[in-house]
Amino acid sequence: MKELLATVKENKPIAKGIWSITLALPEPVGKIKGGQFANLSVGDASYPLKRPIGVCSVNGPDVTLCYQLKGDGTHKISQAKEGDKLSVLLPLGNGFDLGDAENIAVIGGGVGIFPLAAVIEEHAGKKNFRSYIGFRGKEYACLTEKFEKGGSLTIATDDGSIGFHGNAVQAFLSDYENIKCDLIISCGPPVMLRALKSALKERGIAVKCLVSLEERMGCGIGACLVCACKKSDGHNARVCKDGPVFDINEVEL
Amino acid sequence: MVNLSVKICGVNFSNPVIAASGTFGFGREYNELYDISAVGGVSTKGLTLEPRTGNPVPRIAEGKSVILNAVGLQNPGVEEFIKNDLEWLKSKTTVIANVAGRTLEDYEKICARLDGLVDMIELNISCPNVRAGGMALGIKPANVEEVTKLCKAALEKTPLIVKLSPNVESIAVNAQAAQRGGADCISLINTLTGMVIDIERRKPIIANNTGGVSGAGIMPIALRMVYEASHAVTIPVIGMGGITSGKDAVAFMMAGASAVQVGTANFTDSYAIPRIVKEMEEWLSAHGIKDVNEIVNTLKLN
Repeated sequence: MKELLATVKENKPIAKGIWSITLALPEPVGKIKGGQFANLSVGDASYPLKRPIGVCSVNGPDVTLCYQLKGDGTHKISQAKEGDKLSVLLPLGNGFDLGDAENIAVIGGGVGIFPLAAVIEEHAGKKNFRSYIGFRGKEYACLTEKFEKGGSLTIATDDGSIGFHGNAVQAFLSDYENIKCDLIISCGPPVMLRALKSALKERGIAVKCLVSLEERMGCGIGACLVCACKKSDGHNARVCKDGPVFDINEVEL
Repeated sequence: MVNLSVKICGVNFSNPVIAASGTFGFGREYNELYDISAVGGVSTKGLTLEPRTGNPVPRIAEGKSVILNAVGLQNPGVEEFIKNDLEWLKSKTTVIANVAGRTLEDYEKICARLDGLVDMIELNISCPNVRAGGMALGIKPANVEEVTKLCKAALEKTPLIVKLSPNVESIAVNAQAAQRGGADCISLINTLTGMVIDIERRKPIIANNTGGVSGAGIMPIALRMVYEASHAVTIPVIGMGGITSGKDAVAFMMAGASAVQVGTANFTDSYAIPRIVKEMEEWLSAHGIKDVNEIVNTLKLN
């Protein structure tokens, strides 16, 4: 884990409201696991907080982060040009630990697909991935080729404009009887993760399920206790340091 | 060579830049980024007698050059701190225990528990308190004096800092109230109360609706208050509020602070404190000043 002044190599839109920024790191930061994230500076002192963004791809000294244009800060990041310098703190969080699992169901929604793409990149060829990724509509779809590389892919859209008409959890459930999986990994909006948790319970699916959570953060390293989530045992966990990946039964969603 | 070490109430700090409470935990996480013996001291995450889970999320929001937080004093409780973190932190740097409570008795008990174990104790009197009818103890001068007096009576060894809230009628009057109560030192400013609204949802971003404002945007207010408070008392003052550079720290010391604290800047730049120390040293050296203590309270008003 280091904070470095990285050079922007590329910064471009890849779907409606979704951008991809590739940063060249000036020195190695150690292994970056799929599901870990970076805290990226907006590059303007009037924005004191860095933005926590999931790492989407690692290629030697280059790291690609994908982000949604949401507020003024992410709009500002989208204005960074090739050659600009941005401070970045990484790698942060625990990432997905796939253990001995061989056949992995991947369920992603919206910006939640990006850290999942990094997991597939990390383990491609060594594990079988069966991915279900959901978008609002076809203009929001991106990175589908990355998921295809890991195995098979079902795209779901809320408006039915491409693929399965519905969300990623529904696409997974409609297919569940036909596939074998010994691990489920998921990332997406809270409403999606809640739907997944209740569906697993209702259908009696006992397969281990890891989810990656999102929360507004301060330091990003576990010191400030801003990004708390409730664990099922009543204690708090730090999304940035103890997570962002948790067993779905370990946290309240 | 420039001397950067300072002594406050008999306690030595290797340099005058202290990590502010709530932004630095108990130091362990930042120690993964750099050796935290580089910081002058650490004011711990606010401690209470019992563990506290804090407020609902979101607990943080951003404004222009500021942030707002409402963590709600989440902490593992003073006993866990003593058991797991205190010895390690003392081996690294000077330790200020930041403490809070719901009742006056809580404040007395936690001070008594930490007496002699830490280098200094800093009272957070900005949290809602039973005695003040849910209002912070730090608002009315009479309450400031009362809580200070009780805590001072519970302490035999460890010097007491009272951290002043800026959300008050007169910072000078409250500084004097702390001194009358027996404070050995005051620190200021705690956060200003503010709000940030998500206009699409017509709701405040922070779950608690309001939060404490900190960061570069509050520095002129903090400097003015440090100036006023330090000229109203004879005890030493630790200044804070929006420091992001060595020059900012120099300004606080000129306004009357014997040391400074840095909080929000740690989020913007994880290496903020060692950088600020280096920048102070460079500024002092460039101005031919051999001892940082020489600049304290040297402001010349127009």
